[in-house]
Amino acid sequence: MELLNLSIRELNNLFITKKTKPSELYSEIFNRSASSEAALHAHLSLFEETNLDKAKKSDERFSKSENVGLLDGIPLAIKDNINIKDEKTTCSSKMLSNFVSPYNATVISKLDTEQTIYTGKTNLDEFAMGSSTENSAFGLTRNPWNTDYVPGGSSGGSAASVASRSSIAALGSDTGGSIRQPASFCGLVGFKPTYGSVSRYGLVAFASSLDQIGPISKSVDDARIVYSAISGHDSLDSTSINDEQIELPFEKNATIGIVKELMEDGISEESKKEVEKVIDILKQKGYNIKEVSLPLIKLSISIYYLIAPAECSANLARFDGVRYGLRVDGKTSYEMMENTRAEGFGDEVKRRILLGTYALSAGYYDEYYGKALRARKKMVDEFSTIFKECDYLISPTTPTEAFKAGEKTNNPLEMYMSDLCTIPANLAGLPAISIPTGLSSNNLPLGVQIMSKPLTDNSLLDFSEMLEKELEFNSTPEGWSK
Amino acid sequence: MSKKFDITNIAKLASISLSDDEKEKLSNDLSVIIEHVQALSDLELDTNIEDVYIHPLEKVLALDEDTEKPSLTHDEAMSNAPKVSDGKFIVPPSLE
Amino acid sequence: MNLKPTIGIETHIELNTNTKMFCRCRVFDTEEPNVNLCPTCLGLPGALPVPNEKAIRYITLLALATGCSITKKGMFHRKNYFYPDLPKNYQISQFDLPVGENGNLEIVIDNEKDYVEIERVHMEEDTGKSSHEGSGRIDSATSTSLDFNRSGIPLVEIVTKPVIKSSKEAVAYIEELRQLAIELEISEGKLEKGNLRFDANISVAPSESNELGTKVEIKNMNSLRSLERAIDFEIKRQSLALENGDIIIQETRHWDESKETTTSMRSKEGSADYRYFSDPDIPNMVLPDEFINQIKESLPSLPHENRNKLMETGLSLSDSNVLSKSEKWIYELYFEVFNNTKDSKASFNWITGELQGQMRKLEIKSLPNWFSPNFLSDVIKLIDENKISFTSGKVILEELIQMDTTPDEIAKRLDLYQENDEVAISKIVNEIIDNNQEIVERIKNGEDKLVGFMVGQIIKSSGGSINPGMAKEILSKELNL
Repeated sequence: MELLNLSIRELNNLFITKKTKPSELYSEIFNRSASSEAALHAHLSLFEETNLDKAKKSDERFSKSENVGLLDGIPLAIKDNINIKDEKTTCSSKMLSNFVSPYNATVISKLDTEQTIYTGKTNLDEFAMGSSTENSAFGLTRNPWNTDYVPGGSSGGSAASVASRSSIAALGSDTGGSIRQPASFCGLVGFKPTYGSVSRYGLVAFASSLDQIGPISKSVDDARIVYSAISGHDSLDSTSINDEQIELPFEKNATIGIVKELMEDGISEESKKEVEKVIDILKQKGYNIKEVSLPLIKLSISIYYLIAPAECSANLARFDGVRYGLRVDGKTSYEMMENTRAEGFGDEVKRRILLGTYALSAGYYDEYYGKALRARKKMVDEFSTIFKECDYLISPTTPTEAFKAGEKTNNPLEMYMSDLCTIPANLAGLPAISIPTGLSSNNLPLGVQIMSKPLTDNSLLDFSEMLEKELEFNSTPEGWSK
Repeated sequence: MSKKFDITNIAKLASISLSDDEKEKLSNDLSVIIEHVQALSDLELDTNIEDVYIHPLEKVLALDEDTEKPSLTHDEAMSNAPKVSDGKFIVPPSLE
Repeated sequence: MNLKPTIGIETHIELNTNTKMFCRCRVFDTEEPNVNLCPTCLGLPGALPVPNEKAIRYITLLALATGCSITKKGMFHRKNYFYPDLPKNYQISQFDLPVGENGNLEIVIDNEKDYVEIERVHMEEDTGKSSHEGSGRIDSATSTSLDFNRSGIPLVEIVTKPVIKSSKEAVAYIEELRQLAIELEISEGKLEKGNLRFDANISVAPSESNELGTKVEIKNMNSLRSLERAIDFEIKRQSLALENGDIIIQETRHWDESKETTTSMRSKEGSADYRYFSDPDIPNMVLPDEFINQIKESLPSLPHENRNKLMETGLSLSDSNVLSKSEKWIYELYFEVFNNTKDSKASFNWITGELQGQMRKLEIKSLPNWFSPNFLSDVIKLIDENKISFTSGKVILEELIQMDTTPDEIAKRLDLYQENDEVAISKIVNEIIDNNQEIVERIKNGEDKLVGFMVGQIIKSSGGSINPGMAKEILSKELNL
């Protein structure tokens, strides 16, 4: 049976009607990863042994027609900055190459109760810092659509796995676009939920006020199912929220905003065309369209590249060779820590730690970090105002299609600039989703981003699903689509 | 106006030892980035720091009840330790 | 040169909550290292802090008890520095928006009331414990071993303004703070267990100067004795330096108990840059008015209020101070006894002198459950009424602590009731006078100290049952003294 292209609901239905079983699905997944991993290196580790057992137990539950959830027996790939008990969590860093976690992230505990299967841990930019997965200490991941190209980052491994069908869906994390951008580069759906709606307990922190875990999947419905399973208030995370969802109107009662500053210079013509394609569909469906302006967005990269490094400089201070991870010896413990961190961290991570340390240092706080916090607050307020007149905001997900491996590695600033469209949603805590809309002239996927105000995740998913149906984007990467 | 970048001091604060080559490269990288963010530094903003909330959705803290929750066993806590003796983590001497 | 010292004290109080400050690991005493840990207090990747509600209650209690204003929209800050006993290499603390600010604490020094102004009261977490292996001296250690059981325990830091003027005042302040913490039931206040730890900032400047001198921080004083001596030593050291025209370096010094000196610590160049910033893992802490009012209403009687109550019964400030710093049951016993006898001095003396003395001798920490405060009241009254002697009272008390009975039963059994009848006593007095004419002559000639001998003879002949005071009175009358 050709199971790898099916949706979660379809698979669940086949299991329930006993037309196939979880162990058969897993067997196909397993066989796929044998070939895809060699070509793409999406995974850093595969959990073959435990999974055969899990799949068999799942078979039993379905054969006895027990009460099972949608995710029972479904293999998901997990980004390697999310802790799974008794498995390695490396964050694609030399610093943690041998770290075996003694605890589960909350999202994993939740998926465990759903009896989900984990294919293994996927590759990322080291400590989630990057936009191409080229910053991994364990080799880069390739884009299944064209292996000369990057899959995006930092959740490149997760995206490459789903696109090459070595998993049904995946978890990624998004701090400045790290779910949405790789989803866009790989022709997939990538969803970053409202800040605080998914627990960060067990997600190795990069920038605490920006990070969120979310799904990368082949369809909006799959994303919805995974989001539903992993979201919810968690008393182990003080930033976790407890609020009810807010419902948004649709069709002629709803207004779509096109963000002027995200359709200007720096955005490729092809990417702009995809947005226009979506706008046409929405016009036909009766949605009101208007152009909105948020001038502060032009400074979002500056705001982000002060806040994120500052927070990460403290979040990564715990990696010192004392209690776990890499240790490089020294005569004193200070020396040991300095040597360990010199060898354990890659260049991009060092760059951001030093930048963050500088932004917080004596004499510079008000000018840099303090200023960025105030600017961020202003941006939050401005979005609030805009959402009084608009329900959804549409923009490109990325300025361009995927780029070639090695193309941007010499210029950190250029790499940072490609996050322009995705960063604002992290700064303001907004739910944001990328859906695939078409292919570029190079036959690489293009995506469009939709954002809405906080706590409207369900409405955003519904709206995106409607667009997905209208767009009928059915392209799949050659060689991996069966 | 670009600030004088004391990479040695920053590296010391961040506890990362850097070679001279690395210092030079990183110093340059950072100068480029700092120059870019200068536009933000120079911006006049009417938002006060007192108005800023830590949580992007401006949530306030919910305090947790003082009741015990499951923790790690001794073996789990020590399971990744680079060096152990008598149940304690061992490091090279740290001066007070 | 006329120099005046200025001292500020930073105290850390370990709160006796059930669990740690930012995780719910239970807090308990143990010798076993690293048994009380979770991802959060061990600093594992992906762990997050969740503040403890009781700890916030306790610190609010302390802030209100010291008259501090409470910060409405507060936050936690990360204090960033690298050290092996700090799992995250930052300590979650509070920087410019502490829970409480601008309070004061009444102290008693040299039998007078005074106040120490408090700058701030803030919340933070404790670090793990390092021990240095090797020869035992810090600078020749071969390795350091780490136990993180203590990591994450809630600490309240109280910082005074630089207003303390002597080592004596510093000690009085710590004693008061300790008692307050015990009274509020937020800490056991055991200095030997490290429940309270303190550092002192000391500077010396010319008396006429309005500015403070260069301040030196002294660490590692773990008892009131070492606090007092370290401060005295440092004041002397700085004064000597200034008189010689030397400069005082701003630094941290270590109190060496064995050498009885402060020594310069091997410090890193320059002062530390902690790069404080608001902890993004912990949203703003907004304490609602109902929360604060509820805590205000739950404030028990504070030590300075207790002192006032005690003084109202007639005790001196000094004696009131002693009782205000005693265990609760002693304080309560005093009031019970006083209410019965209306004799504040006797009540005080009998409780703090005899009763506690006997208990110490018998090595008991608390009174047996049959011991009623009325026993003490009765003994005092009997003595006041001259029905028993002071010595007899002591005997009765000793028995009462060990046997379930009453003062009356003991007095009867041991024949302690005294003869108070003037006529009966006069008879014996005159007998003794008749039998000791020689002595009487010598007394009349001015040898007053022989009166005591006569009284002794009177008491001896009565078999000890005569009230000595009365005997002396009547003897003096008879001899026309």
